[in-house]
Amino acid sequence: MEIVVCIKPVPEAETRLRVAPGGQTLDAEGVKFVLAGYDESALEQALLLKESVPGSKVHVVSYGPPPRTEEVLRAAIALGADLATWVEAPAGTAGDPIVAARALAGAISSVPHDLVLCGKQAGDDEAGLVPPALGELLSIPDFGSVAELRWDPSLARFKFLRSTDAGGERWEAPTPCVIGLQQAWNDPRTAKLPNILKSRKAPIAKRPADPSNPGPRSVPTTFELPPPRTGARMIEYKTPEEAAQKLVRILREEAKVFP
Amino acid sequence: MTGSFLVVAEVQNGRLSGPTLEAISVAQTLGGGTGAIVGFVAGSAAPAAGAEFGRFGVPRVALARDPALDSVPVAGIASAVVAAAEKTGADTVLVGGTTFGRDLVGRLAVRWDAAVATGVTEARREGDSVQVRRPIFGGRATETRRLEGPRVALALRPHAFASPVEAPVSPAVEEVPMVPIPPELLAPRRTAIETSAQGSGPSLGDASIVVSGGRGVRSAENFPLVEELAASLGAAVGASRAVTDAGWRPSSLQVGQTGRSVSPQLYIAVGISGAIQHLVGMLSSRVIVAINSDPSAPIFRVADYGIVGDLFQVVPALTAEIRRVRAP
Repeated sequence: MEIVVCIKPVPEAETRLRVAPGGQTLDAEGVKFVLAGYDESALEQALLLKESVPGSKVHVVSYGPPPRTEEVLRAAIALGADLATWVEAPAGTAGDPIVAARALAGAISSVPHDLVLCGKQAGDDEAGLVPPALGELLSIPDFGSVAELRWDPSLARFKFLRSTDAGGERWEAPTPCVIGLQQAWNDPRTAKLPNILKSRKAPIAKRPADPSNPGPRSVPTTFELPPPRTGARMIEYKTPEEAAQKLVRILREEAKVFP
Repeated sequence: MTGSFLVVAEVQNGRLSGPTLEAISVAQTLGGGTGAIVGFVAGSAAPAAGAEFGRFGVPRVALARDPALDSVPVAGIASAVVAAAEKTGADTVLVGGTTFGRDLVGRLAVRWDAAVATGVTEARREGDSVQVRRPIFGGRATETRRLEGPRVALALRPHAFASPVEAPVSPAVEEVPMVPIPPELLAPRRTAIETSAQGSGPSLGDASIVVSGGRGVRSAENFPLVEELAASLGAAVGASRAVTDAGWRPSSLQVGQTGRSVSPQLYIAVGISGAIQHLVGMLSSRVIVAINSDPSAPIFRVADYGIVGDLFQVVPALTAEIRRVRAP
């Protein structure tokens, strides 16, 4: 099975967010970009599928500027990806999910793909637009918020749970399709040192961004951080019953979260 | 955009879903009372759910009655939505920002060449463009974007907007012409629909109150403590990764970076220390309460209200107090 995994470099979770001069975007100066969150789960899922379906290959594809995009592709190779393609974005371009989807689709349409796996959304912009836009661009079905993905060789179909707000839907889908993964049910593996060293020299196919890509339809105008949290107001009490009474009174009368 | 709206319905148990109702009120606000609003329903729910649009003053509905639309992937619905927008002259599509709504607007960004945004918590018109605000980075920041172009599609974050007021009208019904569904979209099959793992109470994505348990609960056997508190509030149950990794509760309940993101009115964290991976899944909750035995737990830095104490004493007392005040 030919599995393509789309990954995006995002600021590591512990990053202290700052506003860039001009106030429109995140200040990326000094920020460490990593393979994380749903994308990390998607890669793990791809590697598990590869291990269960003999003859499979995992191909990671990323769109973004240097050097962070090359770094996450190498991290994915160290974890076990077989092939890597980097669609290069000019440095300093603001990430736009639809522009990214067009760039990724250009790369994916020219390689074999039985399954295109993505995280259901990126940990930074949280748009979740790449999987459905990729499905549209590649003219194949897409499914977002997917968990419990398995390949059933006797049916030659994927079986999975698509989580919805009401619960979930069980689906069976043939190849090819796009899947936006909710989470892996296994812990993503960590790379072994020899593989990290090998990944530094691994080949990465580079593609220039397509100049005919129509560009973003929306522009960020402000990036704001919430006022610093001042810490919880602590409830003083002598008995658990007193704590409960005080909290319930506050939630009803001050916070007004229930009648 | 000129201000003619297509509100795409998601139907639950034969009724318009909560996020769909919120989308109606956003259309009414953006349209400033004069905008043309059309409700859209696909599949066999079309006639009944279409009539429900009228209850909230939506004067026109567009129905795509093909029952095949009940069980096709979202891509199939997108074709019907585009056909409805073309037929009714709508230039702005509004939908609840659920799994369905997000998939739909992603399709429309390409097929309908629309400027799109998901997770929208505020929207206003500014000349010919729309400005939206949306929380990003797990609620640790908020961005404002200007959407440009003749067509716009927004997936609105559930619970971010008020429901519309009832103002019953009898809506004019338009039939959306049947759109052929390509065979590759008919190949995938939906084999079952499951309601929330809980069986009772709202699902995590739906709930206006979420009660989550963490490592401090100590065992699967103790977890009903958390569930009873949730039940007393009509809340959904969540869990930290420590709980789902240990197998105390299924991973579908996990709130956090690799689980679900929730933004309820009230989030109660029981025995959760507050690792950043958990916080990014719940920081955009309106009010956060933390109950933890460790006064230095990071959860108290982001919570609005805190109780330091033994959760095995405090939580049952809280459940009892809520039952007492809510008793009829």
